[in-house]
Amino acid sequence: MKRYARSVLAVVAVLALLIGGAGISGMPTAAQGSGSLTVLDWAGFDDEQFWIDFKNAHPDVDVTFEMGASDADILAKMMAGSQADVFHPYTGWLQFYVEEGLVEELDTSRLANWDKVPERFKELGQFDGKQYFVPYDWGYSSVLYRTDLAPEAGDSWDAMFDPAYSGHISMWDDGVAAVDVASQVLGLDELNLTEEELDKIQQLWIDQRELNLFYWSGEPELVEAMASGDVWVAYAWQGAYALLRAQGVPVAYANPEEGRHSWVGYYGIRAGTENLDNAYAFLDGKLAEETARNVVETFYYGSANQDVMASIDDPELIDVLAIDDPTVLDRTFFSPAISAEQRDAWAEMWVDVKAS
Amino acid sequence: MTTQTPVAERAGPSAYRAGAGRPTRRRLRLDRNVTFWGLVIPPSVWLALFFLVPLVLIVVISLRPDLRGGVLAGVPPTLDQYQTLLEKPAYMRLFGTSIAMALGVAAAATALAFPIAYFLAFRAGRRAGLFLALLLIPFWTSFLLRVMAWKVMLGSGGVINSFLLSTGLTAEPVAFLLYNRFAVVITLVYVWTPFVALPILAGLQRIDPTLFEAAADLGSTPARRFWRIVLPLSAPGVIAGFFMCFIPTVGEYVTPLLVGGSGGSMYGNLIQDFFTKAANWPLGAAMSLVMLAGTLLFVALAIRLINPRRLVG
Repeated sequence: MKRYARSVLAVVAVLALLIGGAGISGMPTAAQGSGSLTVLDWAGFDDEQFWIDFKNAHPDVDVTFEMGASDADILAKMMAGSQADVFHPYTGWLQFYVEEGLVEELDTSRLANWDKVPERFKELGQFDGKQYFVPYDWGYSSVLYRTDLAPEAGDSWDAMFDPAYSGHISMWDDGVAAVDVASQVLGLDELNLTEEELDKIQQLWIDQRELNLFYWSGEPELVEAMASGDVWVAYAWQGAYALLRAQGVPVAYANPEEGRHSWVGYYGIRAGTENLDNAYAFLDGKLAEETARNVVETFYYGSANQDVMASIDDPELIDVLAIDDPTVLDRTFFSPAISAEQRDAWAEMWVDVKAS
Repeated sequence: MTTQTPVAERAGPSAYRAGAGRPTRRRLRLDRNVTFWGLVIPPSVWLALFFLVPLVLIVVISLRPDLRGGVLAGVPPTLDQYQTLLEKPAYMRLFGTSIAMALGVAAAATALAFPIAYFLAFRAGRRAGLFLALLLIPFWTSFLLRVMAWKVMLGSGGVINSFLLSTGLTAEPVAFLLYNRFAVVITLVYVWTPFVALPILAGLQRIDPTLFEAAADLGSTPARRFWRIVLPLSAPGVIAGFFMCFIPTVGEYVTPLLVGGSGGSMYGNLIQDFFTKAANWPLGAAMSLVMLAGTLLFVALAIRLINPRRLVG
């Protein structure tokens, strides 16, 4: 065996040299670490226009984006030890980061634009009286329907379960949203569901599956199917409504009697990050004028900067976001802060629907 | 290390027989060893890093109660996830359905690929290279695009429905083409057929043409020649092609996601959901391992039943 040992050693030495060499040549960039920031975000938000104020103020910072496919995906990645400095969860998922100790408590005095945030949005990012999250984008979930093919679908969430639209309904592929909608339709108290009630919700969706064409996971997929006339009635965000209107497709965004749902996107800082200053600057930049305006104009999402919202004069945008209706947010239903057990049970319920 | 020893041992005597003197023999042996390890170490390191380590991680994650504390946290192992799976007959039913779908896809793709490979091997002649290139051209576009293309083909405003409507064969677009298991199977057969043709082609090309002449001289009919020569000798390629398609298709999730609709989910979609939509990696990992074990078991049983050696022998 001795004669092999020498050749093995030779190869290992070469490999070690290669790897070591890579490490040495990689080191200078690592040493400039003061100027880096990693953001765990949804696809699309990595576009420069959604962090342009930060970029302009800190052109030297090396910003890297990691993509999450959903709230659950972002949470799972953070729990699995992602080293992202900043991440982007939505209402209904914020509490998990606080419970798991994954998010840094914020010192809002370090955010120059903090006074531009409405009180309601500040409060949704607070837990036990402490501010953990900075809001950026908000919007609705409601029934989006083709006024020519399903003119009656706008009254209630019941339209999602109406056999009259069989084969032309599309639900969002999300367990929490499925429980939100079903609880309202069945008149159940979502936060105190018994096992029987959750079974009832599951059965409702299993029956609905026969009417549902496909579960959409990205807005473009839904927009295309509604434009082609395959889907008449869908669970949707206002972004899809705006895109379809822009294409001249006859659609309406319902104000169902149970109320629209609404959601707010927040940015949090990972507990223990080494890039704290950059992280604060990034969060503050999210509230700045240009970055805030871009999310409104590009995605048709609301912004957490109330000055920007007040300055909107495009009638399309005012209508899409119902900005002219000061009570609209009071009548909407924000995804409640559910427990980890509820989250897992609901997600499992939704997988069971697909597996049944 | 132990498995490599015979190779080196074999190198020894042959080098000696080549008539080399002692020092040269030593150097030759060293060269061979360096070449051997130089070739073996990179792929071994690669596989260890990107195949074995992830596989072990999947096993470790599947033995955790939840994700709390990060992937590398030292948590006492538990079989909770496997217990949960036992309580979910619907998941195992869907696994069965996925195996059945994969069998159908693999059988159809193999049946379609065989004539293509046969044509390329025995009939295409000088143009074989051109036809082979044509067969491989679809791979220049991405897998996703090819699946999306089937949405365009099968959709209510798609190519097939436009044809049916314009010829007056139907008054309304036919809805059953897209967003169901049928669409998933059609799309997968399309995607896999060229892949399956390649190992079959390789198998057919290895057949010695003089065998046909000998058989013809002995009065064998073309059908009999095909049955007794082509089929048995190409069997390893056919079986390889079949399983090359079958195994990944069992765990397929992208195609059902795009063309399967609400009712077309496969087992792989459930795994994906537990990873990306339910923040429940442990259960997803357990399901992956069950799939891996189930598929391997199935393939082992199938190979045992077919007994490829008997076919060739």
